[in-house]
Amino acid sequence: MAKTQRGGISTVTIVAMAVGTALYAALNVFFNMLQLPGTQLVALRPSVAIPMFFGYVFGPLVGFVSGFLGNIISDAISWGGFWWNWDVGNGLLGLIPGLIVYILPEDKRSTRLGLVWSAVLAVIGSIIGMGFASFTDYIFGYGISTIEEAIYALFLPAAVTDALNGAILTPILVAAYYQAARGRARRA
Amino acid sequence: MSENIVRYIEGDSVVHRLDPRAKIIFVFLFIASTLVASNLFEVLLLLLLSIGFYSLARLPLRKTLPTWKFIFLIVVFLSFLNLFVLTLLYPKEGHTLLQAGPIKVTYENLISSITPVVRLLSIASVTLTLVFTTPPNLYAPAFGQMGLPYKAAYVVELSFRYIPEMIGELRKTLEAQMARGYRPSGGNNPLGRVLRVIPLILPVTLSAALNVYDIADAMELRGFGASGCHTWYRQLRMRRRDYLLIAIGSLVFVSMLLTRTVFSR
Repeated sequence: MAKTQRGGISTVTIVAMAVGTALYAALNVFFNMLQLPGTQLVALRPSVAIPMFFGYVFGPLVGFVSGFLGNIISDAISWGGFWWNWDVGNGLLGLIPGLIVYILPEDKRSTRLGLVWSAVLAVIGSIIGMGFASFTDYIFGYGISTIEEAIYALFLPAAVTDALNGAILTPILVAAYYQAARGRARRA
Repeated sequence: MSENIVRYIEGDSVVHRLDPRAKIIFVFLFIASTLVASNLFEVLLLLLLSIGFYSLARLPLRKTLPTWKFIFLIVVFLSFLNLFVLTLLYPKEGHTLLQAGPIKVTYENLISSITPVVRLLSIASVTLTLVFTTPPNLYAPAFGQMGLPYKAAYVVELSFRYIPEMIGELRKTLEAQMARGYRPSGGNNPLGRVLRVIPLILPVTLSAALNVYDIADAMELRGFGASGCHTWYRQLRMRRRDYLLIAIGSLVFVSMLLTRTVFSR
């Protein structure tokens, strides 16, 4: 395992990025396909828990890439085109739960304390990530031109729904993952 | 379902034959230009340019119509929202165009609510052209040959390869659960259909996350990462038209930058 660390990024990290990206993109495509067109602006996306979970388990870089790339690909697939600032915002959704590597040691992450942290970080991630996306929309003038609009039409709906979904689903995923990993006696 | 995955529309136009690297660089430069463009006139010029780029691709309207419908929905929604917020919260002084009771639509309001929407529209048509004219299997070689590290380009390659897999996994899990007597809740309305996917997130994510170690082991057993960089099967070659496209993109960007910094004051 350690022999392939030469480039700084291990094979597990690369595969985790790709699988996280593919899963996030696939779930988003699923949600986009099943939705009415137009409801996507303030979409209820339970799939935001995917980059958060991958970030929490595999590290901040994996979380960022799976959110960023997954959002680009799913946007490109389900309606063509992409918005770089929303992609970075989605990446931040995954990056911030990954900061757990600096907060808790590895063996504490599956305890109750770790689950609470995962929910808290999911909420912080949604606020910062969606905040970045909506305020860059305002600053660069993509479709909106007032700060009120950025707050009430983009930031609040997106951040609140993402925070709720993330705070509920991420701890469930994390708990189930560590249970399953322990049951299968894998490295985790 | 998997046929919905590829947004690429086959064709033989100039834009289709361009090097994907040139198109990616052009889109980046174009997005950067929209960041710098300040007034309605410049943004309209960019919109004209992007529409020109789009029409060069000769995409059939039949296949792009759903996408355009969606984009126009967003555009109409956003422009109404813009005008509404601007007129109610920040009534600007100026020529009054329309007056109904306390609500007054002025010329300045109209201009400042149209500009961001035009900007959005021009970015949309450029990125749409890129997505519609580039086969998805060319993105990873393009990034790899643009100088992105091999492992980063490989992440792109691998994610494209796993998306159909994941969609298949979602469907398989739903069918397996239905075979065990699970009845999807919710009716046939859109909300019910979204709710139906939520119970699938947990099992599919878990099996994917646990599979990561197996896939990584399999790749390392075959020597992945042992030697720095593999070569790419598809060698991309830049032609004159590719350099021309990049030149146009940089020209637009530089001129926008100049008007912003030098001539504006």
